[in-house]
Amino acid sequence: MEFTLLWAALTAAALGWFGTRLWPDGLPDLPADRLLGAGAIGLLVGRISAMIAQGTNPLLHPGDLLLVRGGVDTAGATIGAVAAYLWSVRGEIRYLDAITPAALLALAGWHGGCLWRGACLGTASDLPWAVAEPGSVVSRHPVELYAALALVAAAWTVARLSFRPLARSGLGLVAVGMVRLLTEPMRLSLTGGATGWYIAAIAVGLVAALVGPRLLASPSRAVT
Amino acid sequence: MRRLLPIAVVVALSSSCGAPGADISGVPDLPEMSADEFEAKLAVLDRPAVVNVWASWCIPCRSEAPLLNAAFEVHRDQVGFIGVDVQDNQSDAKAFLAEFDLRFEHVFDRSRSIPNRFGGFGTPITFFFDSGGELVSTHNGIIDERGLALGIDELLHLDP
Repeated sequence: MEFTLLWAALTAAALGWFGTRLWPDGLPDLPADRLLGAGAIGLLVGRISAMIAQGTNPLLHPGDLLLVRGGVDTAGATIGAVAAYLWSVRGEIRYLDAITPAALLALAGWHGGCLWRGACLGTASDLPWAVAEPGSVVSRHPVELYAALALVAAAWTVARLSFRPLARSGLGLVAVGMVRLLTEPMRLSLTGGATGWYIAAIAVGLVAALVGPRLLASPSRAVT
Repeated sequence: MRRLLPIAVVVALSSSCGAPGADISGVPDLPEMSADEFEAKLAVLDRPAVVNVWASWCIPCRSEAPLLNAAFEVHRDQVGFIGVDVQDNQSDAKAFLAEFDLRFEHVFDRSRSIPNRFGGFGTPITFFFDSGGELVSTHNGIIDERGLALGIDELLHLDP
């Protein structure tokens, strides 16, 4: 992993850790460790997914796994991280709900890590806060900072929701999908982005948030 | 059954993609080119150009290759794409091109005279040139999708 990406990952880890301190209600023991472990596994799964999609066999070229700059599949990373976290807490949904605000804050840190990577800028813009590359006359949307700020707002909002099974995590997924979907038109892309996956995340999140509390609510699972 | 699952995953991955020893019989030799010839080529291209310096032994180049192909497919009508294979041999270079199905033009520069002329270091390097053949920016090291898209977009704003 390149040093700039490592700094972005450290920013995400620091904000994730901070999130577990800021919103500790209902968390399992060692919440930051579980969150960071899940994030690392998600990154690995996302990288493997991207390599396979690009036609590179991860078994024949294991060194390529470290080339995160070559691409990380967002959907694979999300599924991998959520699965790893759920595995670490033995499938207790309440712990998924409890960690959601911290996870959103960590994701905001990853997007904000564009400052280290020099990768904040998107499409051209005349807005007053648009910024230009050094030596360029084209001012651009600082699109990754938009995403980071929106995810901080989402984390703060979700943390204020009451604990009902899958309500926080479902709405957290909706927030992530919405943030990515709304900022995608301002991103420069060669592959068209993962719009379909963002819409799927919103749909799954909405269903989970609406159906989860009715299906899973029970005194033994509720966190007070 | 649970013990068999990892084995099944490994077998599936092994056979899924990236077969080694790609068939290079249909891939022509890469034309050798000096720095002077390359500069002259850029000057008459009459459109901006992305020049990627790569080598078959370069591990980061493997992760760039699919991105460069994607960029070529999106911008082929507006931007020229040229690969410069350095410090390599023809058979390994052709195997690399065949493995990634790189469809844009490539030249062979065993002595690295072309990247040395333009001031980049290491491998890979991505140079961005305007339509007059003047160097606009240089990205040393592996470039990601956003960086490549940004470099191309900057070129297109210079030469709308």
